[in-house]
Amino acid sequence: MKFSFCPRSVCAAVFLFICSCFAPHSWGSNPGITSPAADSQSSEATIQIPGPLRSFLRMAGISQKAAPDEVIPLLARNVFLLGYEGPSAHVRPTEFLILLSRYVQQARELDVMAGAEGVLRVANCEQAKPLLQVLGYRTRTDCGQSGSYLETADPQRAFVTIDSGFPLPELEKTLQGGQAFSYPFRSSRVPMLFTEADWTGNKNLIDSLIRDSALSRLYWAFAQMDPDTQVALRQSPGLKRLAPYGPVLDFYGSRIRFRSGHVAVPGGPGADGVWRDLVGVGPDAGGDFVAKLVTKDSGWLAAYFDSLSRVNRTQQAHFTEPRRLKPFYEALRRQDAPPAEAARSVFRPAPGLLLLLTRMEWESNGEPHVPGNLEVWKRVLHQKNYADVTRDWGKKAHGWNDSEQLLEALVAISRVDTEVGPLQAYLMLTELDGGRGPRHHLSPETVGLMASKFSKFGDQYLLFSEFPSLDDASITAFLNAAERLDNLPNHYIRGNALGMFQSSIGLWQILARQNQIPKKDLNGSFQRVIYPFNRVTTSTGVFDAGRSSLRELMVVATGKPEVSQGELIDLLAGPHQSTPEGQRMHQEVAARMRSVLDAQRLVSLDTLIGLGDGLQDVDHVKASSAHLTSLAGELREFEMPQPIFKKSEREEWGAGIYNNRHTDLEMQTDLSKIVRQPASADQVFQARGQLASFLRDTLVGLNYAYYEPPGAQILHHNPLFVRSHDFSGDTVVGMQRASWRAPQLFGAGSPAGGGAHLVGSLADLPYVLAQAEQDFITPENVQALIWGAVVPGILTSAIVPRWWDVSRNELHAITLYQRAGEELLTASQTNEDVRSKVIEILSDRLSPRNLEHVQRSLRTARAPDVLARVTPADAFYLASEFSHRYPDQADLLGQSGKELQSLVQQYPSEVSRERLSRDFGVPHPVLAQSYARELLNLPPFPAFMGYSSRFLAESWDSNNLYWARLADEKEYSPVMLNRLVPELTRRMVEKIFATDLEDWPALLRATRETGDEFRQGKVNSVLEANNAPRN
Amino acid sequence: MTKRYFQISVIVVVIIGASTTWLHAQQAQFQVSVDLVQLNVAVTDGKGNYVTGLKPTDFQITEDALPEKIAFFGEGNGPARSVGDVAQDEGKPLDASFPAPPATPAEQTDTLGAAIAGSNVYILFDTSNYMYRGFVFAQDAIAEFVRSLEKADKIAFYSYSRDLSRAASLTSDRSEVVRGVRTTVAGDDAALYNSLLLTVKDAAGTNGRKVVVVFSNGPDNSSVVPPEDVAELAQSAGIPIYMISTREARLEPVSTAVFERMTAATGGKAYFSKNWRDERKAFASIRDDLGHLYSLSYYPKSNPNHGWRNITVKLMGDHLKNYHVRTRNGYRPQPNRFAAGNVAETSAPTGSSN
Repeated sequence: MKFSFCPRSVCAAVFLFICSCFAPHSWGSNPGITSPAADSQSSEATIQIPGPLRSFLRMAGISQKAAPDEVIPLLARNVFLLGYEGPSAHVRPTEFLILLSRYVQQARELDVMAGAEGVLRVANCEQAKPLLQVLGYRTRTDCGQSGSYLETADPQRAFVTIDSGFPLPELEKTLQGGQAFSYPFRSSRVPMLFTEADWTGNKNLIDSLIRDSALSRLYWAFAQMDPDTQVALRQSPGLKRLAPYGPVLDFYGSRIRFRSGHVAVPGGPGADGVWRDLVGVGPDAGGDFVAKLVTKDSGWLAAYFDSLSRVNRTQQAHFTEPRRLKPFYEALRRQDAPPAEAARSVFRPAPGLLLLLTRMEWESNGEPHVPGNLEVWKRVLHQKNYADVTRDWGKKAHGWNDSEQLLEALVAISRVDTEVGPLQAYLMLTELDGGRGPRHHLSPETVGLMASKFSKFGDQYLLFSEFPSLDDASITAFLNAAERLDNLPNHYIRGNALGMFQSSIGLWQILARQNQIPKKDLNGSFQRVIYPFNRVTTSTGVFDAGRSSLRELMVVATGKPEVSQGELIDLLAGPHQSTPEGQRMHQEVAARMRSVLDAQRLVSLDTLIGLGDGLQDVDHVKASSAHLTSLAGELREFEMPQPIFKKSEREEWGAGIYNNRHTDLEMQTDLSKIVRQPASADQVFQARGQLASFLRDTLVGLNYAYYEPPGAQILHHNPLFVRSHDFSGDTVVGMQRASWRAPQLFGAGSPAGGGAHLVGSLADLPYVLAQAEQDFITPENVQALIWGAVVPGILTSAIVPRWWDVSRNELHAITLYQRAGEELLTASQTNEDVRSKVIEILSDRLSPRNLEHVQRSLRTARAPDVLARVTPADAFYLASEFSHRYPDQADLLGQSGKELQSLVQQYPSEVSRERLSRDFGVPHPVLAQSYARELLNLPPFPAFMGYSSRFLAESWDSNNLYWARLADEKEYSPVMLNRLVPELTRRMVEKIFATDLEDWPALLRATRETGDEFRQGKVNSVLEANNAPRN
Repeated sequence: MTKRYFQISVIVVVIIGASTTWLHAQQAQFQVSVDLVQLNVAVTDGKGNYVTGLKPTDFQITEDALPEKIAFFGEGNGPARSVGDVAQDEGKPLDASFPAPPATPAEQTDTLGAAIAGSNVYILFDTSNYMYRGFVFAQDAIAEFVRSLEKADKIAFYSYSRDLSRAASLTSDRSEVVRGVRTTVAGDDAALYNSLLLTVKDAAGTNGRKVVVVFSNGPDNSSVVPPEDVAELAQSAGIPIYMISTREARLEPVSTAVFERMTAATGGKAYFSKNWRDERKAFASIRDDLGHLYSLSYYPKSNPNHGWRNITVKLMGDHLKNYHVRTRNGYRPQPNRFAAGNVAETSAPTGSSN
């Protein structure tokens, strides 16, 4: 089962689902009154699951690796999310729910057959009959003979038998005269929240959850809270009163925390008064406060409360200042009739609000940072093409005189469902300024220019956030060139120009990231790479611009203008390595890139440069006619794959998808005549222009090859993939205007369409390539949920970083930080003071419920339980923060802490937190609008509309830290990470066995399982592998 | 030697071996790897009966119109031997000879069993939502098929929906495979061509003769690679693909076209069954087909063509002119991935071409 990332609109349409109650529900007789004794009892209450737990989990769509206490919550979650379909007036159970119900019935029948000892026994054919009837199978007439086997008698029952994993082959062996069949079929007991009576009166909770979507959602919502809060809310206002607000509690309830009957609010006790104003009663009203919070404004106040609760203390303090907390909410709530519900869809709305609260930058005086100046943003908001609420704020903007008003407007428009609005522009430009530092902020003119062009070029700005040293002049040069190219009237020339321009910049980006362009030359070289494109009007101009741009790039990176394709690949593969191991790894990376270019059958750069240089004028051509004729022949070597479909069939079955005009035109290109007998200068000029599309393909191919995801197959088996990249958006209706946006994958699932291809720009290419290739990673577990938005993000974090200049000290420091964090956790088991400090630090990253688990485990000295809930990044952060906040207690970090301290003293810059963050962090193109690597130290983000769980992937920063630790423990050289990280990440993805879209523990399990295999030497084949590339 | 011929199909399988040939075009280095090309060939008469007992000299192979010399020859499961050895054993020169008489039913059974022995059979089962209704019956049929391949060397069982699942890796343990069949679960989108690509790649990585048998209800709604790429890979790796589908797939023209053409291109066959009982007949037919293959191998002559190379297999002599040859129609030499530039180490591909 796999959820795929889909465009925002599609997600909204598909996942709009019903959250009303589908079946009459009777509540427990007295849910509101619970004694402390009963609380204690309820925490240990269990419920019987029919049949073996493994089978139930399969049928309920729950990961086999889920902990027992997660089973009922996940069942509830799957019932309300996957169990019903159709419009609210005609809701019907899905096939998933029908099968689950059938299984429960079948399991109960088998439970009876298994008897008190809980074992199904069959010794011969006769005994098998009743069992087979329940299973939906029958024996052939030759039962008892070696050739006998089972066949389906009742398809409905048989389906459930198979789907639930009943050991049919073993039973079959018995019926062939083998040993008696004996299968333990015992019901399992798993923990439940409170008692059955609380939820259902006196009915069976499993049956009630399956029948009642609203009850399921409320149960799931409660399960996300910490135990103290669960108990408090059960007492007041009680389950019955909260039942209609299950959706709101599901989305926004997990951060509600009770402490001694008082609700802990964002901003702390100092903000109690404002919250009283907002909610109607104060946080000291406990359950009443929550009841009012979730009912107010269709859930928007709860959404506001939740977002504020998720950000760190510094951000929270700013936003909960009395001058902001209430006005900002008033701006957010927006009076619309009927009110848009904050918990109607399957995904939370308004991702921009949480992003704004998380990434907002503040001036030293506590005022909001404003990129450029206020006037710029007044103009931005005043643009006429925005949705209603934005336009309304634009009208108000005339009278603004301070930045608070801008921030208020940004909070208000965070509810607008867009990716290219003023809020998104603000977030991007804030990140740009943040990376530049106070003295190098963007000028108001540049901010104005960038904001005004954000809807078209916004995705391209990832380049500028990754390289903050690119100054205003570079940014302006880029935008001017891009705008010129975008205005080229001829679509064919435009497509080639866009591809050539972006791929040239893409190569610059790779070399700059790998420090192969000196820092002092970043601006100059960037502008020189762009400059040739300013004059482009013809195909020949496109070719010449690409040629010149590449020459400029080579000059700055190598000191010479001309390099062969082989040399360019070597350059892109990484900086020169002096050690044998480094050289070997470098060759391996280069070989992988070559294998992609070979598979794509792209014309060699050497051939194109040779032809381009020869086709300068008639005399040149005549002088080297024989040579050029040979090169021209290479342009014609590419052949389309052997066709399966006829042309007419393509037109009918692949309409709107199959479009290889670009390749078709290339295949018609024949320069042999012109290079043999050039007639005129114009002919030679035109001939050079015909090389533009080939050069574009090769340069684009180099970008694709560099970002090849582990396990990639399209890149190696679909030779049209690179050529089919549609830069101008001509192949998809409506994409022309989105040609500078991040590319989208089109053509999947259309056999006559010639294969999937990308439409759009090269921005965000690593993520999109990973998205395209992810389905070739084979899950290790049956029914594994590997959700489509997380895996590309995780793969991106393995693809973009390279480890050419990481020292052994650095690698070892990564290990020591993690170990020290773990040692600190161990120490905190017996030291209450340390424990409170540890919990305080971990509260920055852990949800209240998880934090409560950890706290309880530490209190009861159950270290393994703690490690199951603390990620490598958590441990790293814990050690790092503890040594920072409590330098005089560093000895509590254990032996690893001492070693770390010594390392830090000896090599302060080499193992500084900044450097470790840069080298072992991950890119955050959505969360922080940048491909720069960084450890952001954020808690796992929830799923949001339009992004699904991409936020979660970007907040998952444990992998590279953990792989580095493994490499260090096995004493591998840091350069080996260039092979290890992609491979271990691929294996980790294979092992993901999740249940829901926010199932970060599944990521942790997969990471640790991969590490265990590695430590046991099961991944050695990877490390001992020859130099052959993966494909 | 009267009616001596069974129906023929000719399956041509190309296996590209280990040595390399360098082809230089002026300054550009374009290296392709082509060595022994192995073809599995089946021949049928007008009634569809397999023809057995043919000799190397009964066949003529051309690649891009260049006549090729058969280097190794084998029939059924007999070892492929050098043509010189074959002639020596028969004590006569290598000239055309009449085919052997048709085998008796008993002999056919022996031949079939022997022929399947030594094969690696990869089964790919559609467990997507499209398969939902007939899922359990299809499982029964596949389990029976697995049991019936008693003499096959090894079997691998994979299933697919949106992702591939390697339920049973290549093994000679039938119960392991049947267990794999019985552990499949239905649901999710269908990515047939993605999964078939991975299956063919797995098969290409093994030694010996191998075939892929696909059981699919047809539609594909999530593959990112097109069927053309899968077919080319199977052709280049010399792996015939057999596809069994249902009437529903027959009604879907895209799948019908792909199934018929892809199987033909790789030397396999497509079957469209009306119900699950017919599926069993289709499996039996595949077993039969696998039992009547000739193995022909040749070292291709020098050929400047870097692209698609057409292969033609014909029967020589008037007495064979009415027989049908089913064969794949060519292959694409694979560019050597280490070809370009200044790489110090190069590595010759082994086994298959990709």
